[in-house]
Amino acid sequence: MSEHKGIGEGGKTIKEMLEENDRLYRETGCYAGITEPRLLREDPVKGELFHCRIMASLISGREITKMISGSPLVREIAELCIGLYTPEGDNIAQSTGIQVHIRCMGDVIKWMINKNYEEEVGINDGDLFWSNDPSIGGAHPADIYDILPIFWEGELVTWVCTVIMEPDIGAVSPNCMPAPNVERATDGMRFCAEKVGFNDRLRRDIELKIEQSLDMPQIFLLDRKGAIAANVRVREEVKNFIREFGLDYYKRAIRELIEEERRNQIARIRQRTVPGRYRDVVCLECYMAEQPVSWLPGKQDTIRLVPMQMDILPSGRLVLDFEGTGEWGWHPFNITPSGLWGGLSISLVQTLSYDGRANLGSLLPCDLKAPTDSMVNPGQLRLLATSLIWGSLIDVFSLWLGMLGAAYYVRGFREEVFNLRGCAGLVLAGYDQYGIKRPLLFGATGYFGPGARGVCDGVDCGGAVFTPEPDMGNAEVWELFVPQLEMARRLDPYTVGYGRFRSGLGIPMVMMIHGTKLAIASSNTGSLSDGIIPNCGMFGGYPGGKRNSILIRNTNVQELMEKRQPLCHEVGHPADPEFKKRIKGELFHSHHLPPPREVHDGDMTIADFCSGGGLGDPIERDPGRIKADLDNGLATEEMANNVYCVQASFDEKAKEWKIEEAATRDLRQAKRRERLARGAPMEQWWEKSRQRLLARDLDELLIEMYQNSMKMSQAFAREFRDFWALPDDFTL
Amino acid sequence: MSYSKDDLRDLFDGKLPWDKVKEIMSKPKDDDRFDKYIEILQQGVPWAERILLPLGEHLYVVEKGGERIVKCDCGHEFGDWRQNWKLGALIFARDDAGKLEEIYPGIRRPDPNLCEVREYYCPGCGSLLKVEAVPVGYPAIFDILPDIDAFYREWLGRPLPEEKKFRDMTYDVTREWGQRHRGSLQ
Repeated sequence: MSEHKGIGEGGKTIKEMLEENDRLYRETGCYAGITEPRLLREDPVKGELFHCRIMASLISGREITKMISGSPLVREIAELCIGLYTPEGDNIAQSTGIQVHIRCMGDVIKWMINKNYEEEVGINDGDLFWSNDPSIGGAHPADIYDILPIFWEGELVTWVCTVIMEPDIGAVSPNCMPAPNVERATDGMRFCAEKVGFNDRLRRDIELKIEQSLDMPQIFLLDRKGAIAANVRVREEVKNFIREFGLDYYKRAIRELIEEERRNQIARIRQRTVPGRYRDVVCLECYMAEQPVSWLPGKQDTIRLVPMQMDILPSGRLVLDFEGTGEWGWHPFNITPSGLWGGLSISLVQTLSYDGRANLGSLLPCDLKAPTDSMVNPGQLRLLATSLIWGSLIDVFSLWLGMLGAAYYVRGFREEVFNLRGCAGLVLAGYDQYGIKRPLLFGATGYFGPGARGVCDGVDCGGAVFTPEPDMGNAEVWELFVPQLEMARRLDPYTVGYGRFRSGLGIPMVMMIHGTKLAIASSNTGSLSDGIIPNCGMFGGYPGGKRNSILIRNTNVQELMEKRQPLCHEVGHPADPEFKKRIKGELFHSHHLPPPREVHDGDMTIADFCSGGGLGDPIERDPGRIKADLDNGLATEEMANNVYCVQASFDEKAKEWKIEEAATRDLRQAKRRERLARGAPMEQWWEKSRQRLLARDLDELLIEMYQNSMKMSQAFAREFRDFWALPDDFTL
Repeated sequence: MSYSKDDLRDLFDGKLPWDKVKEIMSKPKDDDRFDKYIEILQQGVPWAERILLPLGEHLYVVEKGGERIVKCDCGHEFGDWRQNWKLGALIFARDDAGKLEEIYPGIRRPDPNLCEVREYYCPGCGSLLKVEAVPVGYPAIFDILPDIDAFYREWLGRPLPEEKKFRDMTYDVTREWGQRHRGSLQ
């Protein structure tokens, strides 16, 4: 029996507190056993004041970090977030920012508690901990968690955590989110909730380790100072709250905030959705055959299915089931259950619990079913590279947002309908314009378009739902940081997902490499979708098209500049793109995971984004909206005519587009007749498709994908055979 | 919190000014939304059957002769709501480069070896009801299967007469098709 006097309440260890908390929840169904949140109800004004003070401290902490940090990821696009936690690691409140991490940071605290840090590592006032190991909690190792315990008179009363995305963690090139890695070590530095400092100061040997290990230690350490400053600021504010409200109030109120949010979340689900079963499917294309991996079993191309089922139960609980998901693989795209919770968290915060009260209680009404050894719950996770969990995670939760949107739509809350999709492109590493070899990450978020809302078009360039503040940052600042010149900032009409309400448009990133003596360009993917576009069209709207990663080497850009001829400032028409018309050179245009290639000044990279889905039948789009899009250059005559079935002509005199109403009516009626003529009865199509399956007339990648899911899940195999009326022993 | 039916109709039609839309997005939600929603939808269809739930821009689950069926606003009926309505639709599968390029030209075209973009039309009016982008060979997705009785009974407190068992009946249909095309398995 340990003689240890705990650092928790009344001399308990925090492990004892965690176990008791879990027991109380199991027994009562209420967080911490709080069946009556009396404190907040007896004096709601005081409760509101208490919560507002907490929120203000977190948001001001976040702003402090932005002032101290030197990284454009923090200063330009604010890739950070701060959360406050109970002693047991349960989130109480969260700042704005990359809120996907809020639950994940709590997972790390719980891991520390369960690994008996209290006795075997020591948790003291002023101790600093770092974590970035997704096998413990997180979405990829580039996100560093700075964790600080907060004590009051010797008792651990709360934790504060700040997450910041780092451009350099010492991974294989391109150093931050590499694609060509399959083993753990290639991820770069991993901090497994390590104690890295005392008395609010980093250990000198840790600083030296960072200086020795990273190409950009100054950015990393400055970000840590920003995070420590934010955490310390929150800690001092928490002490002020305790002085003002009293310790007993603090300890009870932080738990009541969670229980109150749990109840509110169930009430919201019951108010805004309809119980039932909602389904969709994601395809993750993991093309690793060309990647220079050293663990050779990883050199193969695979596609994995992730069928998703969301059950909204009559009780108000929400269950996400991934039955049928294919097997994990040797690549950096396997998702963790902790990451899934992160995705769930951000989706709920953006569409359901957006009143500033989101915390762990927002997630307590939810369950996840992630089959063991599948790509969403790999048993081998600790061995695997985890650098690009994020890409597949976005693919999964973006469509899940659409499923949730369907539930809102059915209930009448169409304004909350929304989906998105991830992006991908090329990232550089190598010598910057000052001659220093380092990662050259360009990480702006405000380029790609989201899906339509249920009541209006999507917000152009507003697709980065993982942060409420999608931002391109200042081109001039990015150009100081990376040897690239941004050649385009033009909304591209062809990125659209068509519909009665269209998706937001995106801006493809056209970059010219400038000022480096040597660099490599490799895949930077926030999406594992390539040839199979995500199923994000809603209720008759189309998904946006295929996105592209393009590299042109040994270009004639210098010659064009000398002749003062136009360069490439947009993708242009996708069937006759500008980069093919204007730029001569060696073109690489395969898929989202091209191998690293050497690049030099004058070479061009294009990250060609496409948007989420449109909503509703495009031929029902208000012609007035189409005119506005045409006038603003956000649609073309070709798409107006072919997809929206609008007869439009440009009035040279008035310099605006005119819609011919009668001709438009005729076009739309003709489109309906055309559909009725070319549409086949389902049974006819079904039999034709079934014959293809019986003949195994599918791409080899798809055959392996279906075999894999059928092997992983009897339920999936049964449903697949049932739909196609195939024999019980059928396999592809 | 409550909004007028006119405001809600304008909201759904995309006619409400953005500042009002934003307000509706941000404020606490209106408890009477569903009933007003159903009233608005009911007023917009030319037939008399009671709408129980919408399933999309044109589709509704309606009460008809003691059954709950999926019906298009044009009047076309798809059958029991527990069977995927897509099985009763017309389908146009964009399964080759030419058909895909009509919508997704050039470099934006998905790979026809891997991806099929299926368009489901109402056989009555030719409305495009759903676009489905999936890997070739994937079953038609049963997007939404609402638990209508639990919803009316437990969430609205207004149970519907003649409750139905909540289950997926799609495979009853495909089994029947399988029987009809049994010879093709040889």
